[in-house]
Amino acid sequence: MRWFFLVLAIAMVATIYAIGPRGEKFSDPPFELFPDMDHQYKLRPQEPSEFFADGQAAQKPVSGTVPLGYSLPHAGNDGNTGSDLEYSSGDGYASTGQFGDNYGEGYPKEVELTPALVKRGQERYQVFCTPCHGDSGNGQGIVSKYWAIPPTANMLDARVSAMPEGQIFSTITHGKGLMGPYNGVIPVKDRWAIVSYVKSLQAASGN
Amino acid sequence: MGNIFPRWTNLIAVKLLVCLGALGTCVIAVAWYSWTPKYTRVGYMPQQPIPFDHSLHSGQLGMDCRYCHTHVENSLHSNIPAAQVCWNCHGTGKVKSDSPKLEPLRQAMDENYENYTGEPIKWVQIHKTPDYAYFNHSVHVNRGVSCVECHGRVDEMAVVYHAEPLSMSWCLDCHRNPAENLRPLDQITNLDWVAEDLDKDQFYAELAGKTGAKAEELKAADEGKEWSRELIGAHLKEAWQIHPPQDCSACHR
Repeated sequence: MRWFFLVLAIAMVATIYAIGPRGEKFSDPPFELFPDMDHQYKLRPQEPSEFFADGQAAQKPVSGTVPLGYSLPHAGNDGNTGSDLEYSSGDGYASTGQFGDNYGEGYPKEVELTPALVKRGQERYQVFCTPCHGDSGNGQGIVSKYWAIPPTANMLDARVSAMPEGQIFSTITHGKGLMGPYNGVIPVKDRWAIVSYVKSLQAASGN
Repeated sequence: MGNIFPRWTNLIAVKLLVCLGALGTCVIAVAWYSWTPKYTRVGYMPQQPIPFDHSLHSGQLGMDCRYCHTHVENSLHSNIPAAQVCWNCHGTGKVKSDSPKLEPLRQAMDENYENYTGEPIKWVQIHKTPDYAYFNHSVHVNRGVSCVECHGRVDEMAVVYHAEPLSMSWCLDCHRNPAENLRPLDQITNLDWVAEDLDKDQFYAELAGKTGAKAEELKAADEGKEWSRELIGAHLKEAWQIHPPQDCSACHR
């Protein structure tokens, strides 16, 4: 009996030492006691898949097809369906900021300039633009404090202030110089909202 | 006739019971402690293909979570950013673009790079609900549940780890009593937000706008109550009519 408890005590100490406390950092995939249906044979977002040849669960639309709700790209339509105002490849003013080869003035008819739009634009601006262009739009974002990259556009100066709305929209969509394209992360309507906020920043600075 | 059993056998049954009892207690204690997500999942800190530092990007530079996790407000899935998003800042000639740590990014994005493959970066998923549990990010972040409530202080993590158990009972704790985990929508991605940061007058004014009551009356009714997450959350819960589902089919659908 005495021996039993001695062995048990040693075993307990060894076990506690081996398993460690809760919350300890580890890098192996978590142990699953009952993995029953935790991992099902179904496709989940952004996960790999053995089913498709490219190894990804998320598949691009088959070439020549258009997702439900989108209008055909570059088919003479003006790209105005609801989904087109999310992520569009339409060729209307709302999705390009251009009429032919010229940048357009003002907002497309699908986007109404309201205080709510500018407010939305402010929120999105602070998410996507502030790191480089700064809260006020002066091009002195926090990135410029740490890294010596070529200067970021000061959106309050005369050059940018003179740009029509369509050109600012197009710059957000496709990027310019070192700035990358944001058409994959900011939906069309939010891009117009950001344009409206940039315009109000410029107005507030007197340009 | 002598005794068949020697004297030491008198207590053997009792001793065996005591030993088995002690052994069973120990086994149960270890299982209770370690066979739970609090032990098996919390602290999971896998090595990522690129040692992306959240404490630098989100903490030091103050970038919003949604700069990269763009679809969290619209989708049940909070996306890992496409390599294009990394490339916006770390592309050729930009910030730290020649750092060896960014090798997988260059392989994925830089078509002029000798080791270019175009393969996506294979980030390791840390937080995962089981496949039989439905979870929707957008419905939570659009109703005042911040990222921090489930993911911890990611803006302070150099390497992200699993901070909360994400077990069923842990989910239910909040679904039964959500008030203390709610906050105004404009503070969703502000991970170090505390109740004291909130401007009282503005809060009551916005609350009045939502509920149709008068801001002064709402404020007067709270006179003397402690200004806390519970109080703010209770108001938001009422204003948004939040009734978190607790039936099985809410998540197991």
